[in-house]
Order: sequence, then structure tokens, then C-alpha cells
Amino acid sequence: MDSVSVLTYYLRLIMAYGSYYVSYYTDLLRDYPYEVRTAAWVIQGSIVLMIIISILLARLARQRRIRERTLKSLEARYGDAVNLIFTDGVNPNLTREELLSHFRLSDRDAGKELLRDTLEKRLFCTMVYTKLIEDTSDESRRANLHLLLDIFGIPAFLENEVSLGAMRIKVQSMTMIRAFKLYISPWVINKLLSSRKTRVRRLAMYSSVMSSSDSDLDYFETDFFDENCCIYDEIELGYVLHRRRAAGLKLPNLAHWAHLQKNDNTKCLFVRLMRRFDQREYCSQLEDLFRESKHKKLIEEVSRTWGYLHYTEAEPLLVETMLTQPDDTKVAIMHAVTRMATGRSLHLLLDGYENTTNPHVRFEALRCMYSYGDEGRQVLHQLEASASEADKKFFTFFHNPITLDKIPLDKEQAYHPSVETFLTQSNF
Amino acid sequence: MWLNIYYIFCYIVFGYTLAIMASYLYLILQSFRAQHKLSINMPDDETIKYQMKSSPLTPAVSIIAPAFNEEVTIIDNVYSLMQIDYPSYEIIIINDASTDRTLELLITEFELVEVPYDVAMRVPSKPIKRVLMSTNEKFSKLKVVDKEHGGRKSDGSNAGINVCSNRYFVCTDVDCIVEPMALYRMMWLVVNSHVPTIGVSATMLMSNGCVVEDGHVVEARVPNRLLPMIQQLEYMRSFLIGKLGWSTINALPNISGGFGLFDLDVVVKSGGYDNRSMAEDVDMLLRMVTYMKNNGLDFRVAQVPKVCCWTEGPSTLKTLYRQRIRWARGLFEIVSNHRRLFFNPHYGPIGAFTLPYIFLFEFIAPVLEMCGFLFMIWLIITGGVNWDTAVILFAMIYMFSVLMCFFLLFFDYTTEAVPWFNRPKSYAKLLMMALIEPFIYHPFITYCSNYGYFQFLRNTTAVWTPIQRRGVKKKTK
Repeated sequence: MDSVSVLTYYLRLIMAYGSYYVSYYTDLLRDYPYEVRTAAWVIQGSIVLMIIISILLARLARQRRIRERTLKSLEARYGDAVNLIFTDGVNPNLTREELLSHFRLSDRDAGKELLRDTLEKRLFCTMVYTKLIEDTSDESRRANLHLLLDIFGIPAFLENEVSLGAMRIKVQSMTMIRAFKLYISPWVINKLLSSRKTRVRRLAMYSSVMSSSDSDLDYFETDFFDENCCIYDEIELGYVLHRRRAAGLKLPNLAHWAHLQKNDNTKCLFVRLMRRFDQREYCSQLEDLFRESKHKKLIEEVSRTWGYLHYTEAEPLLVETMLTQPDDTKVAIMHAVTRMATGRSLHLLLDGYENTTNPHVRFEALRCMYSYGDEGRQVLHQLEASASEADKKFFTFFHNPITLDKIPLDKEQAYHPSVETFLTQSNF
Repeated sequence: MWLNIYYIFCYIVFGYTLAIMASYLYLILQSFRAQHKLSINMPDDETIKYQMKSSPLTPAVSIIAPAFNEEVTIIDNVYSLMQIDYPSYEIIIINDASTDRTLELLITEFELVEVPYDVAMRVPSKPIKRVLMSTNEKFSKLKVVDKEHGGRKSDGSNAGINVCSNRYFVCTDVDCIVEPMALYRMMWLVVNSHVPTIGVSATMLMSNGCVVEDGHVVEARVPNRLLPMIQQLEYMRSFLIGKLGWSTINALPNISGGFGLFDLDVVVKSGGYDNRSMAEDVDMLLRMVTYMKNNGLDFRVAQVPKVCCWTEGPSTLKTLYRQRIRWARGLFEIVSNHRRLFFNPHYGPIGAFTLPYIFLFEFIAPVLEMCGFLFMIWLIITGGVNWDTAVILFAMIYMFSVLMCFFLLFFDYTTEAVPWFNRPKSYAKLLMMALIEPFIYHPFITYCSNYGYFQFLRNTTAVWTPIQRRGVKKKTK
């Protein structure tokens, strides 16, 4: 008998016992009031469920013990050799023979199945993955790691898991592929691009962006990203584009991608990413977004990106539109022209200070003046000398060493959205 | 006629009991659904940390911790908060005009000096006297706010909201022990949400009995004393079944004041904490939900299934009695202040399901139980009890409550929610508590709830009494 027949036989048996028991009990309780009958059923149901839960708990505990035992055995067999890869001072380009000798294996052994079953393979991946993410070193160990994974047949195993595993396994395997920086064949990934699980779909999309050839990126030249992007999407996209750049692959034109999106928040995401990847050459393509968009945040992001990337050609446009913008956008524009530091826009900052009653905007204008260089600081001192009593409080920030330390607009930190407003958001 | 009333009452109570059981089963199913979803969407701690730590895009968080007369523990607690593992966060300690040396100790230990800080009054709080920051780069995360005495934690939290610099903030008690991975776990749910997450509730358990080293729980244990042990079971049931279950249908009614994450914009727009409320955490979340729904905005309130924070709970009957009376008053206040939300589908699943559930099965239950208890006494006196039926009905309720505990332990074991999942002794202790809880603990809680309602109706002035702490076990090196 095959396993399906055995299963069917036992299922029928259980159902037969069950129906006998139900009819017997129904008969037994027939003359009792319905509340007693209900209570009796609830009690029996509870007892049955308790027994089932106890069996499941025992089974889970056994599985966990097996898992722990297997992990221990893997640690004993390969732990030291795996640790070697993550040890400082080891040759970053070990040969296959050298690595095999660390595992006390010959080249002939490497052809065999070193890991017995799926559980061992999964746990081996987990072991390497845990060590990898604890390791804070740079990329230099990557070659050894890939060689190690290759010896144990991990890339093919993970690809298989992505292709055939349950949803949770798919996600775990793709996360590991991401961390190990392995290549994964496009046909495996492309199937997942239409998965009904958002997380799987997204992970597949990012794996695809990470490893696609330059021409394959055309696939993403649609509004593919438009289904409510979240912060994690930005984190992942930032990561995969960083990987592409490190691997010497061409980066997509993010300004063009921004244009393709329908959702303004997704546009903002790509505009922000432009400044992270220094895409100054595409800055001119943002001009129509700046002019035509009604979305305040998008205008702010475009201004900031121009500022970070020193796209000075846009300075006249910024100057021309600043005074008609809402307060937050004014602040973004002032930051942008300060970062451009052409020496032509100090008057804009002065206007920003004088033509508003919003204390936040006034303080930011002073902050920009301070960051503008000697010329800006001179104006700042003049303003301080002539400031009214009420306005004096603005200038106290420029005399306290702790707050002064946080005043200059710092290019290194400024990508982080919260750093830019660290001090000022809650002032005034 | 009396016989008819008697029968009607009995049928109502029986139907009510079945409805409660059905609702618990529904919540259990929902929490298993949540667990399944999270197994796909929420990776293990190390992966979360790996992905978020390396990105400059990970949002920064502010931790707000009001303190009043905490001179004994304040320094240890601030050091503990500083050890939280997260790439970018600030700690805001609010000194609510302590009459002891709390502020003095903070100034000396962390080398604090006054900085210019003109605070925006985003939400109402007592005036802020000064803001202090450290001259030592090592403590640059720390900001101490010295304010006039507000009398309640909510006033301190509002002051923290007024000086907070980040879009997301966590409100906690200064004496809570925060898990090092807590912020990662909570922020993962924020960064991964495709709709704006306005709040994240963290699982919080009792630290009584746990071993603490350097401000962290190094050994999670079930408390040894009876009262905290039963409360631990109660907390686990509330967070791992109740709140997690509600969160799957976006109907979480409460983010605990002990440790919860919020979106600053929405909190400010909904007015912050209400300083007069006895249940300020529920009250604020309901106002946030009202704001979002009235403005037609999409939102989510999430629950982290893993333990993020440990707090010391009441270990004596007296303190537990006071706490539960306060909670009962708070519940009454919520029911009366937010009555327009109850049974109102305009407010989404919270209005349509959670609040009716709270009204029917949490608010009314103690009153009904008390009536049932008195009715039973009367029946015993008059000899009107059918003992066979009474015993089988009691057995039904009892077996179901034990079944709930089985589900809870199974859930805890599979999700590894609490770090004692590999200690069978802990499970045995909790199971024992489930067996005795209906006899000794539940009647006491029912009494406290009824007395709390009575106090609320008599309009007795509410007094906020802090819980008397016994301290946790500290591991000596």
C-alpha cells in the first residue's frame, strides 16, 4: 500500500470512530436539558483539544531537540573551519584545496553529499548566516565564503528552496541569498514576481534588481513600484542599488523611474535615492517635477536632492519660487541653497528670516546663514546686534557649545531625514 | 412571575458564557493567524538587526521616560536605556519636579548642562523649566527635561512629546527593563507596513523573579510568589492572545503605557495624553483612531508578539487591589467618554468589534458575575440549586479556562515569544496557576472591578498611588 492509501485508511478509521462516538453520546444525553448537553460537549471538546495540544507540544519539543542535536553535530564537524573564514588575518583568497584541507576533506569528498538531508543543509545555512551577520568586517571575506558555500552545494540548494519551498522557506532562503550575495537564476525569481504575498513579491523584485543585467532593468521601467511603498522598500532598494554599484553594474536612471511612478510618495522615494547614489547627471530631469508637482513633500525632496548634489543650475529656480512656498518647503529650499554654497543666495536666507513670522523658519534661516561660511556668519552677527529682545532667544543657540555643535548642515549625516531637523523640529 | 425571571436570568447568563467562550476562541484563531503572517513577514532578530542597522534610512526613535522621585534606581535605569541596540535614538528623561535627588544625580553622573531650548507646546503639559544635555559625547543621546510637577505620568509624557525630535517615539516607565532588541522589533513593523503605522504595542511581562544583569534580563523566570505568578499568566493571555488577535483585524484597543511606540504627528493632532484620565493609554489610542477615521486616513496599529519589556508588577494584595480599582475606574471612564465609538462601524473594526467586546465581556462581566454570585448564595439558602447542573456548568467553564492556558503555552512555545520556552518547569508552573486561578484570583479581581465602578459612580477623587516595588534579582559577577 502506498502512503496515500494508508493515510486514507486511517482517516476513514478515525471518522468511523468519531461518528460512532458522537451518535453514542448524543443518544446518552438525549433526555438531559440542552444546557447540560452543551456543557458536556464543551467539556469533551476541551479535553480532546488539550490532548491534541499536548501531543503537538511533545512533537515540537522532539523536533526542537533533533534540531539542536543536528546543529551541535554540524558545529562539531564544520564549526571551526567555518569560523576560520571569519577570522582576521586569514588569506582572503583561499584556494579550493586550502579550504578543503581546513575541513579535513579531499577534493573527491567535495563531490559527495557533505550534508545528509534538508535539515542539515538548512541548519548549515543558518550557521554560516549567523556568523556572517555577526561579522562586521568588510567585503574581503566574500570570496572565501562563496567558495565554502560552493563546496557544500548551498547555492543550488537555496535556489531549490526558493523555487519549491513553502512561503516561509522561500522568504528565508531569499534573505540568505541576499546576505550571502549569491547569484540566483532569473527564471526562479521571475516566477515569484507575481506572488500573492507582498513580502515574497518584493523580495523577488529586489533580488531581480540586484542581479539583473543592464538591459533587464528595462523590465522595471513601469509603475511597478507603485503599490504603496514603505520605508522597508526604500531600505531594500538602497541596499540593492549599492550592491549593483559595488559589483560594477550600471545603476538605473532614478529620475526617470521617479517620472514613471503615479504615486507621489514613490516619486519621493526615488528622488531621495538619487542623492544617495550621487546621480547629479540626471538632476535636470527633476525640474519639471519641481515646477508641475502640487505635492509639497515632492518639491521638498527635489530641492534637497539638488542641494546635496550641488546642482547649482537650479539655484535661480529655487530662489524664484521660495517665497511662494509653504513654510516647510521654504526650509528645504534654504537648506538646498546653503549646500550649493555658490555665494549668490545669501539674500534668500535673509528674506527667509525677515519675511516670515514662523519662528521655525526664522531659526532655520539663521542656521543656514551660519553654515553658509564667513559671509553668512557676518550677516548673522549683524542681525544679532540689531535683534529685538524677543528675537534674542534665536541667537542663544549659536553661543552654547552643545547646540552649536548640531547647527551646521552636515553632508555626511544629512541623508538621514531625522538628523536634518534634530535640533530645530521642537524648538519654538 | 419570579420563576420566569429566574429562568430568563439563567438563560441570559448561559448564553453570555457561550458568547464569551466563542469570542475567546475567535481571538485564539486570530492570534494563530497573526503568528502565521508574522512567520513570513517578520524574520528573526538577527536578520532584522542586520538589515536595519546597515541602512541610513532606518527611522530614528525618541524614548520618553518620565521620572518622579526615582533617586534609587534612576542612574541604573538610564544606563540600561542607553544599552538598547538601535542605530539612532534619543533618550528623554522627564523629571517631574522630583523632591528627592533624582535630578541632582542625573546632572552629576551624566555631566549635564542647561541648553537653550524654546519648547513648542504641541500638547498640553505643565511648564518646562529647562532642558539639559550632556557635555560628554558618550551621553549625547540623553536629554533631561526639568518641569513643574504634573502629578501624573501622562503630563510627563506630554512634556516629552513637546521636546521630542523624531517622528516616532516610545513611551515607557523609567523603571522598565527594556529588551536590547525591542526597538528593532517594533520599528520593523513600522518600516514594513504599506499603510501608515500609528502605533505599535509591545509585549510586556513581569520582571518579578527574573535575573537582571547590567540592566538586562539575562534569565527569564516565572515569578516564585503566587500573586505575581498568576498575573504573569494574565499578562501573557492579554498580550499573546488578546492583543495579537485584535491586531490581525487592525482592532487593537490599547497600547500599554509601559512600553508603546507612536507616530508623533498623529499623537499631536489627537491632543496627546489626557492628564485627567485614569486610562490615558487607551484614551489616547482611541482619540488617535477617531482622528484617523474622521479624516478618512488609512492606518494600522500593530502588536509585537515577542517580549520587549519587563516591568515589576504588584506582589502584594494591597497594591494589586489599588491597581485593579484604578483600572476599573479607567475602564468605566473609557466607556463613558468614548461611548460614541461603541457599536459604531464608522470607526472600523475597533468600533464594530473591539469596543463592543470590551463593553459586553470586560465591562459588564464583573457586574454580572457579582450578581450571579449573590444569586447563587440566595439559591443555596433557599435550597433551589440543582447541584448536578451546577457542577457540570462549572466544569464547562473551568475546563475551557484551562484549555485557554494550553493554547497560550502552545502559542508561546511555537513563537518563542518569551525566553523561557525551553524550560518545562516554567510551563508546569503556569499550568498550575491556570488550575487555581478561577478559585482564588478571579473572585478577587471581580470584587476590585465592582468596587472601582462603585467609586467612579460615587465620583470619589482618584488618587494615583505608585506600586510598591520589591526590586528584581540582580546577578552579581
